[in-house]
Amino acid sequence: MEKIVSLIKTDFNTTFGLSSIAYSFKNKKNRWQIIVFGIAMLSILPTYFILVKGLGGIYDIYNEIGQKSMFLLSGFLASQVMVFLFGLIYVMSKYYFSNDLAQLVPLPIKPSYIIGSKFMTLMISEYLTSLPIILPFIFIYGIKGGEGVLYWIYSILLVITVPVIPLVLSSILIMIFMKYTNIGRRKDLIRTISAVVFILLMVYAQFKINAITQKALMEGEDFLINLVKDSNLLVKNLGLTFPPSIWASLSLSNYLNITGLVYLLIFVGAGVLSFIIMIYLSESLFFDGLIGNIEVSASKGRAGRKTSIKDITKQTKPYIALAKKEIIMLFKTPIYLLNSIGGVIMIPIILVMSTISNGDEFMEIVTIFIKTKPELITLVGIGFIVSLGMLNSVGSTTFSREGKNFWIQRTLPIKVSDQIVGRVLASIAIQILGLIAMITSLLFTIKLDMKAIILISTLGLLGSIPMTEIGMIIDITRPLLTWTNPQQAMKQNLNVLIGMGICTLYVGGIGYLIFKLINKVDINLIFIGLSMVFVVSSLLFYFILEKLIKKQFEILE
Amino acid sequence: MLKLDSISKSYNKGRVKAVDNISLEIKPGEIFGFLGPNGAGKTTTIKMIVGLLKPDNGSVTVGGINAWKEPLKAKSMISYVPDNPEVYDKLKGIEYLNFIADMYEISKDKREEKMNYYLEMFNIKDAIEDIVGSYSHGMKQKLVLTSALISEPDLFILDEPMVGLDPKSSFNLKAIMREMCDEGKTVFFSTHVLEVAEKICDRIAIISKGKIVAMGTMEELRSHAKEKESLENIFLELTE
Repeated sequence: MEKIVSLIKTDFNTTFGLSSIAYSFKNKKNRWQIIVFGIAMLSILPTYFILVKGLGGIYDIYNEIGQKSMFLLSGFLASQVMVFLFGLIYVMSKYYFSNDLAQLVPLPIKPSYIIGSKFMTLMISEYLTSLPIILPFIFIYGIKGGEGVLYWIYSILLVITVPVIPLVLSSILIMIFMKYTNIGRRKDLIRTISAVVFILLMVYAQFKINAITQKALMEGEDFLINLVKDSNLLVKNLGLTFPPSIWASLSLSNYLNITGLVYLLIFVGAGVLSFIIMIYLSESLFFDGLIGNIEVSASKGRAGRKTSIKDITKQTKPYIALAKKEIIMLFKTPIYLLNSIGGVIMIPIILVMSTISNGDEFMEIVTIFIKTKPELITLVGIGFIVSLGMLNSVGSTTFSREGKNFWIQRTLPIKVSDQIVGRVLASIAIQILGLIAMITSLLFTIKLDMKAIILISTLGLLGSIPMTEIGMIIDITRPLLTWTNPQQAMKQNLNVLIGMGICTLYVGGIGYLIFKLINKVDINLIFIGLSMVFVVSSLLFYFILEKLIKKQFEILE
Repeated sequence: MLKLDSISKSYNKGRVKAVDNISLEIKPGEIFGFLGPNGAGKTTTIKMIVGLLKPDNGSVTVGGINAWKEPLKAKSMISYVPDNPEVYDKLKGIEYLNFIADMYEISKDKREEKMNYYLEMFNIKDAIEDIVGSYSHGMKQKLVLTSALISEPDLFILDEPMVGLDPKSSFNLKAIMREMCDEGKTVFFSTHVLEVAEKICDRIAIISKGKIVAMGTMEELRSHAKEKESLENIFLELTE
């Protein structure tokens, strides 16, 4: 027992950085980071409130048709599905790719202890996913229906246990997956492909849901009622395939009688039971997937090989070498490959596809729109590529990704200009992939003329430069270098979020200006103006970066 | 070649003095050993020389150039081998070497010659097309050593270089250090292994609690000690 408590404590500490937060607070350092984080969070609030308000409306309709429990069911289902999906990613990185494993495995502790403690930490992380979804449902239902004290007590119990079952499911799935893919040299590849397949399946599900909303939209004014009726069926169907959500909602909607208590006990009991099953399974699954997983096998026949240095040496300009190194690392690290490169290629395809799947009526509107203002699609395309320049996270994590290897960059005689140009080039290279993906998928949907393609390509890539530079400015100001898992450098890096905020302002500001000008000024002037904005901001950010990098390379410790 | 002029570094707002007012000067062609117990300030001092930690005060001069005022010029004269060889584990060995050589702008012929020489010597030539992630600790260290030697540095700085090397490689490394000094280059390294220091260093400094407590040739250190003692005894006496 002491062992497991100590494991959980240590894991909490390393995951949420309690010691280091306490340390930086004591040093009065990094305090503004917390402020920035606060502001970033606040900026999401308005959208969140709009959504919550909409939920209130949906509750009313469920109430009218006497299906109040369906409202709760959607809430539980949504939060549990999200926990499950995020769980798959979290579990993968936490159980199999975190650096503490190398220390934990040789210790005299059972695999189930390791899994148990890691599961606990994941639960806490998952509350960040589940609470924002489930709480509005609980509160709207409770307040609008004027429910009693017992309702709130049940709610607390349910909310606490909501992530257990989905997280157990994703844990078991990942453990089985890792056990059977832990083979040979190509396991990174196998796993990346599986992740892509998984994302494509998600996209397919997204289309399905889109189609339902689309149908509801067609019904005109009865939109909400139809949405409810439609999704009622959907929710019921999904609920049947995932009964725990039904138990939770039935427990809350019947809290006044014994049925409620029974369902509450079933829900909590199923959570505990599933946890025990997972712990039991982990004994036989976990180490099989883990051991040998971290090992990187050398190529065959290292011993018998004759290497000719002459054929494999080549001199390149420093900035090209730097860009090359960045690109190799992005391609060879699965998490970077999936997020940066995968994202840049998949986002445009998904976006264009979902536009098509919105139905013929929608496409007609688009076609009419394009006929009256053909350059609009060009402008949107440019804006999209420019935004991808930030979404690809190449700039906003470029120094963070160096991590423990940052000493190399700091002790080598690299010109600051080479640092900037090399890293921007890496981002541009990734952007080109996104550009190709977008133009190809656009060509399938609408007719694009040569001029539009050239404009989207040149201006899109030109606009990606200031985006990457903004990302780099943020990242060099507060690089995250102490990560133990590349996931942290890219997905849990606040710099990415800050970058996206600033990118929204930048693209939004320019978009607003164009919107104001488009009917007053010749379109060619707008394109020229746009190029000038991109060039000037690139130069401006370049000079800021030059100063910052020089300064930060000196003082970082 | 290397001049430290009363450099200091403290942590926690001056509460912990890691390096306290250190001054020393090393001439070209010298092998200089930097000795001290754990936590004495060896690595901190080295990091201040190579540009990883900015001194609170004092100056670092490399080949007549203030290393913190003109870092680029200074760094192009230095090669640094850290105590823990963390390198990009997704790159192939050869990709890493080419990357480093590109940063020092070394011509193809030159790098080819140097790589052949050092990779053969450290016996990792046949692994050079594998990714660094597949290397053992010692192999990584040899890779970093090779990458540091390709640029033929005027000032070669090593932090605990013998840790993790097999006997033959550490013998070779000592030979390389000697060779470099014969060519008029300067070697500065920290170590725990007193025997190595005793054998190959022209001069030695012993650092304890952030301060240099003794500096000079082996003979000078001996003459200052109470009796004609071994370096081990001198070390123990001074760092108590």
